[in-house]
Amino acid sequence: MGTQVGPRVRLVGGLLLWYGVLGGAVAWAVHLMAAWSMDELTCAAGSAEISALPLWQAVGLAVIIPALAAAGSLAVAALAWTRMRQAQRAGAPDGAYGRARLLAAVGIWANLLFLSIIVLGGVALLVLPVCQR
Amino acid sequence: MTDRGGIVAAATGAEALSTEEPVGRSTGWWGMVLFVATESTFFACLLGSYYYLRFQVGPQWPPDGIGNPELTRPLVMTGLLLFSSVPLFWGVRGIRYGRRWRLRAGLVATMVLVVTFLTVQGTEYVDDLKILTPTTDVYGSLYYLITGFHSLHVLGGLAFVAWLFAASLVNSFDPQHYDRVRNAGIFWVFLDVVWVAVLFTIYLSPRL
Amino acid sequence: MSTTTTKPPGASQEDLSRLEEHWGEPPSLRAWFSTVDHKKIGRRYIVTAGLFFVFAGISALLMRTQLATPESGILSPQEYNQLFTMHGTSMIFLFATPMFFGLGNFLVPLMIGSRDMAFPRLNAFGYWVFLFAGLFMWVSVPFGEAPNAGWFNYAPLTNLTFEPGLAIDVYNLGLLFLGISTTAGAINFIVTALKLRAPGMSLNRVPLFVWAIVATSFMVVFALPALNLDNLLLFLDRRFDTHFFDPSAGGNVLLWQHLFWIFGHPDVYIIVMPGLGIVSSVLPAFARRGVVAYPLVVLAIVSISILSFGVWVHHMFATGLPQLSYSFFSAASTIITIPSGIQFFAWLATMALGRLVIKVPLLFLIGFLFTFLIGGLTGAMFAVTAFDQQVTDSYFVVAHFHYVLLGGAVFPMLAGLYYWLPKVTGRMYHEGLGRWAFWLVLAGMQLTFFPMHLYGLFGMPRRVYTYRGDLGWDVGNLIATVGAYVLAAGLLLVLIGVVHAIRRGRPAPSDPWGGDTLEWTTTSPPESYNFPVLPQVHSLHPTWDERTAESIGAGATQDRILSEGRRTLFTSELDARYERAVEMAESTLIPFVLACWLLLFFISMLFSWWLVAGFAAVAVVVTMGVWLWPSRRPAEKTG
Repeated sequence: MGTQVGPRVRLVGGLLLWYGVLGGAVAWAVHLMAAWSMDELTCAAGSAEISALPLWQAVGLAVIIPALAAAGSLAVAALAWTRMRQAQRAGAPDGAYGRARLLAAVGIWANLLFLSIIVLGGVALLVLPVCQR
Repeated sequence: MTDRGGIVAAATGAEALSTEEPVGRSTGWWGMVLFVATESTFFACLLGSYYYLRFQVGPQWPPDGIGNPELTRPLVMTGLLLFSSVPLFWGVRGIRYGRRWRLRAGLVATMVLVVTFLTVQGTEYVDDLKILTPTTDVYGSLYYLITGFHSLHVLGGLAFVAWLFAASLVNSFDPQHYDRVRNAGIFWVFLDVVWVAVLFTIYLSPRL
Repeated sequence: MSTTTTKPPGASQEDLSRLEEHWGEPPSLRAWFSTVDHKKIGRRYIVTAGLFFVFAGISALLMRTQLATPESGILSPQEYNQLFTMHGTSMIFLFATPMFFGLGNFLVPLMIGSRDMAFPRLNAFGYWVFLFAGLFMWVSVPFGEAPNAGWFNYAPLTNLTFEPGLAIDVYNLGLLFLGISTTAGAINFIVTALKLRAPGMSLNRVPLFVWAIVATSFMVVFALPALNLDNLLLFLDRRFDTHFFDPSAGGNVLLWQHLFWIFGHPDVYIIVMPGLGIVSSVLPAFARRGVVAYPLVVLAIVSISILSFGVWVHHMFATGLPQLSYSFFSAASTIITIPSGIQFFAWLATMALGRLVIKVPLLFLIGFLFTFLIGGLTGAMFAVTAFDQQVTDSYFVVAHFHYVLLGGAVFPMLAGLYYWLPKVTGRMYHEGLGRWAFWLVLAGMQLTFFPMHLYGLFGMPRRVYTYRGDLGWDVGNLIATVGAYVLAAGLLLVLIGVVHAIRRGRPAPSDPWGGDTLEWTTTSPPESYNFPVLPQVHSLHPTWDERTAESIGAGATQDRILSEGRRTLFTSELDARYERAVEMAESTLIPFVLACWLLLFFISMLFSWWLVAGFAAVAVVVTMGVWLWPSRRPAEKTG
């Protein structure tokens, strides 16, 4: 293994797999902290804007950007999973492929979960007025 | 162009994607990283509580009568603490090549800088206490708890480095055995990062 | 000690005697305080947590006796408050988590094919701190100064104005003290699972129990700081007049609730997750096949432990925050049911596709499925904000979380107890006694907690020491009290079964169940060095796999026998490739001494003996310096 692939590229590949596994989770965590704290604190201060930006737009950004990050993570996980399956089908020795395939499979499902949570948050934003109690 | 395309293809190939990372760390390294992770979470909760309380108090922050915290000394302290990592890492690199004197010199320089940091912090407290105590209001409570808790960690770091220095005098470390020295480096990164967060929260954010 | 005569052909007789020389500990008083053997420490955790379970259980029986009839006067309101607080606090902090940490301590090194935990001394230290912190909290009961504001200790009820005296300080300091032990244990589990797995045990071959313990440990690492901060802030408010929870000076009482539930909701999963791991580990032996959909069960473990951090506000739906910010948490609380459901269906499918062997551990697993299902269903109901606001702080909540915690933690724990008893003690339990215990526990549990759903919906609030007779709550309460005694009888029968097994049980073979994980390749009980030959793992079910068996038999190599010292193996983090042999820490008194200094520190903080506290703090630092002082041994050494 690793005859033509240089160490830098390998490092990038290894980190890319982790983005595929955990990217959705991190995106969701950022989404939750940003959207919740902006909403609760701005409304508690009796206002509906952050600087000049209307609050609903700010919260909207805290939905869209993490959603895109999670979708990217999903794509990477799906790619990694197919690559591992191809490699294993081509009869490569099990080695690291089995482990990477497990992580990629976990990544696919986890990203689907986290992406749907972020999307549900976006739906709530469309339905509810930002500061209604 | 083709070269860059080749790199992307290689990085998303089965071999690159199955690269094992992280790999080859010692148990000591993992233990220290996890310890620092849980400590950082503690500070994150502490600073989160600061913002939570601050935004509920209203626009006037610090509350009436207490001006914005002074900025000169915290900036000097920032310089001292961040700069104290330099001799430490220089020393850690030294012991990797077996240079024991370089390690000892680096540790001493770090200790000097850290003692200066704590002294400046002390003089700042002396001045602050004339207008604000931990019992004045929630701002005072937060101010002293956050800065004090960070200083306590710096004091712990000082004890750690002093202890390493004592151990280095009896030649405990060599290129194969310097886990503990490297762990001090990890702890220092933690101290620096937390201090920058404290600097921003306590000293800069009220001015925004 | 060994009760079987099968001698592994892999290691020679010389190797075995050398291993025994390096790892064995002749019994002595000193050895009792200084041992770092993960199996002894694990057993101690289990016994000590069992002791606190008895204390907390007796508290519950006293409360149920008081509530059997309306307006009874067995307990005063003050006593009742202390009892329900100590019941909850102990069950959660001193019983559930330490019990699982004890099982994990015993099993994780055996399941991953190692000879000890990554940090054996830290392990011993964690036990002593747990013991001292538990005693610290329980000693307050005879003095009438036990915590009395509920296990979640809400401010402002716990401010000095409403709670003078030491009771709340006992809670704050006790949990801070215990937090040291829990954090140390969690870090130890993670590092052990990352570095000490047998060669070949890449992440796709790690037993599900180990996944569960590691996920739990990660939750501890990131959740516990919030609780520690909360307790520190409250202690400072009470002792040093700070104003964190004082609205008149800019503080905010809701801060307590936020910090508490940032910890508290992950903690629900910290308690339940190892239980789910036990289910996934015990089931294969009694279904005669591996758990269906291993990757999806791993997914469930990982995603639940992450999601658990984003649902805390659902404990506070009744506190009046903007609707939109609730909905972010509502979304997470709803989605978290999916991975839980995946696990559930994976177990059902395993049972459906397997060939069931009905023994006591499997009975408890079935009891778990039934009970936990009901708890999960009522849990999903709370994700609906409108419903939550109707039933919050009623007995419906009490019913819900007892179904979750007894179902999700105690039933798997009992399944695990019967399953691993032969491994831990080297003796088989009595099947008939076990079955009686199961039926009593199951019936008692349903009798006690099912009626609580009903009289909770009828409006009975939790934490009241008595109630009037004309509200329609009396029949349900009487049934619950009878149920509590039945449950207690069942648990007593479990204890009798354990004692009977140790005293009279027939010797256990090394693998009485045909289990699939590596602990079943060791003798019952395991030798001091666990494995004569560290295995080379070739599949997810190493004990059912001939190549793995070969690696500890005819295929054994010197680099996996390692009899030249107290040694075990480091392997790489993800793929478990062979890295190097390492020397493990030997027994020492230092962890015990350090725990004693910490005890002195916390006692003097409680009584405001500042000078003594300062002295103890210095002693702690000096002891740590001595502990970690680099030794000049030539071989590589771990901390």
